[in-house]
Amino acid sequence: MKILIIEDEEELAKSIAEYLSEESYLCEFAANYDQALDKIELYHYDCILLDIMLPDGNGINLLKAMKKLDKQDGVIIISAKNALEDKITGLQIGADDYLTKPFHLSELAARIYSVIRRKQFSNANIVIQNELQINLPAKTVSVNDSVIALTRKEFDLLIYFIGNKNRVISKSTLAEHLSGDFADMLDNHDFVYAHVKNLKKKLNEAGCDNYLKTVYGTGYKWEG
Amino acid sequence: MKKLLNKTLRTFAVYSLIVLAASVPAYYYLVDGIWLSELDENNEIIAGRTEIGLNRLNLSDTMLAESIILWNKIQPGTSLRKASAITAYPDSTYTVLRQNPYATHKDIDRFRGLVRLIHINNTPYYLTVETNVEETEETVAAIAIVTLLFFLILVMGFLLLNRRLSARLWKPFRGTLSKLKTFNLNNQMPIVFDKSDTLEFEELNRALSKLLDHNISVYKTQKEFTENASHELQTPLAIIKNKLDVLLQKETVTDRQYQIIEEINRALTRITRINKNLLLLAKIENHQFDSSELTRFDTLLLQCMDGLQEHVKEKNINIGTDIQPGVEVKGNSGLTEVLINNFLINAIRHSPPGDAIVVKLSNSVFEVANPGKQELHPDALFTRFSRLSANNSGSGLGLSIVGEICRVHNWKAAYSFENNRHIFSVAF
Repeated sequence: MKILIIEDEEELAKSIAEYLSEESYLCEFAANYDQALDKIELYHYDCILLDIMLPDGNGINLLKAMKKLDKQDGVIIISAKNALEDKITGLQIGADDYLTKPFHLSELAARIYSVIRRKQFSNANIVIQNELQINLPAKTVSVNDSVIALTRKEFDLLIYFIGNKNRVISKSTLAEHLSGDFADMLDNHDFVYAHVKNLKKKLNEAGCDNYLKTVYGTGYKWEG
Repeated sequence: MKKLLNKTLRTFAVYSLIVLAASVPAYYYLVDGIWLSELDENNEIIAGRTEIGLNRLNLSDTMLAESIILWNKIQPGTSLRKASAITAYPDSTYTVLRQNPYATHKDIDRFRGLVRLIHINNTPYYLTVETNVEETEETVAAIAIVTLLFFLILVMGFLLLNRRLSARLWKPFRGTLSKLKTFNLNNQMPIVFDKSDTLEFEELNRALSKLLDHNISVYKTQKEFTENASHELQTPLAIIKNKLDVLLQKETVTDRQYQIIEEINRALTRITRINKNLLLLAKIENHQFDSSELTRFDTLLLQCMDGLQEHVKEKNINIGTDIQPGVEVKGNSGLTEVLINNFLINAIRHSPPGDAIVVKLSNSVFEVANPGKQELHPDALFTRFSRLSANNSGSGLGLSIVGEICRVHNWKAAYSFENNRHIFSVAF
């Protein structure tokens, strides 16, 4: 899987690459508009991470250029601006997702995972890990061919873990993912534990192996 | 408060009263002096004419004596008597007050007299001529009445002129004042003052324009600063956050190190939140939201309550609702959602587990009540970073955002404490 990171902030690009490279991702960098355009024209990427505030041009224009070239690469916009109009414009022009800085890398990894899966043909849209089968478009999960009923949050959580296989995800990161803007306003993060516990219980009861491990007391790691 | 021109009017009136009052004795002495000197002249002429007239008659001594008796009887205001050589003294004038002997009224009249030594047939006689003069008090009264009349004319004139002047002279000032009253720093619309041909007003307008321009630019810079600073902070925050994520994946991380990373993460989430809220505040203040759309308040409220459901369950809090369906308000839906969430989250956060929150919505008011022990300081509630509880994890901006949202929508946010309940409300 090839990822293009278009980001002028070197440290940020390096961290993203380091986190993603442990998975089967191959990361390339572009620090400005021209570099990015050159790479997009020459190569195909599974996913492009696009900072829309570039030193020599608006990232939105890059999106427009991609559309002109009829490129089908998945695009996730990364922006320091949380402006709704930017979000809407970006998504209208052809971005697949929009992430506001600062974000957790696990959040980014989960989004990349979803975007790449969505772009692929339907048969690849089914994630299989031994006895566990996840149908992404239908949002159904089955263990040993029997469907288990998960709530929206539990399904979301499962995809998040799958998108961050073998990565440690801390409780506070999960809390942020699950409750978005409210995470820090409600100091109690126990609801994370409740969701994870329910998901684990449902999977185990259906006969699924215990892939979700607890690490460092309150962190989690999906092994596979 | 008195009008400026009325204040000067009073001073002018008092001053003219003093001047006019002082003029009364001055006029009196002047008029009286002229009177007396004219009468003295008149008496002199009469005396002279009498002396010459009597001498021309060439009367004998006996006839003269008879004539003098007759004269004294019929000539009013004059008298002749023989002067002895010893008592002879020069001419003199005098003023005397006495009753007029022929008048029927009892008033005292004033007379100006002249005693003159004349010689008839070489015999010295004293001729006394008296002429009636206006009395002192009558002169004074007449002058005072006229003066008062003039004073009244003056004051009336002042009043009239004042009214016309204040309308005309102060017109540019009033224009400036009414424009200043409509000025709102939040709109950042500079005022264009009308041109005035009065030096002072033009100077005032110029000074005000300069002051306002400066204020607007300072205000803009300050707001831009908040917005820019918040934006600039996002990237370093992102770097820290991502480095922590990378660090967490290292196999050598110990349990203690994981805890430290988590503590940093939590603090980071708070900074992020504060930063986002500051940005939101700056955006609301900069009117970057359209507040003219119609928003279904009840639907939004139910959505928000649904979104917070798990947190409510987690704390075992019971929410009592009295929500009128179909409540529509004119306002930005995004901001309205922020307002509802801030109220609800505050209530959930500050309620002890197992307690009850009451949410009420009607066409005119939205209200959230949660239990509490003592009243909060109402003045500090809606200001930035004025935390009122020991629970320090909030951004300190939640209620000031509510206040700002209410301000742009012309709603009224209020707080009250009744029956051991904190009641936060917004009136549309």
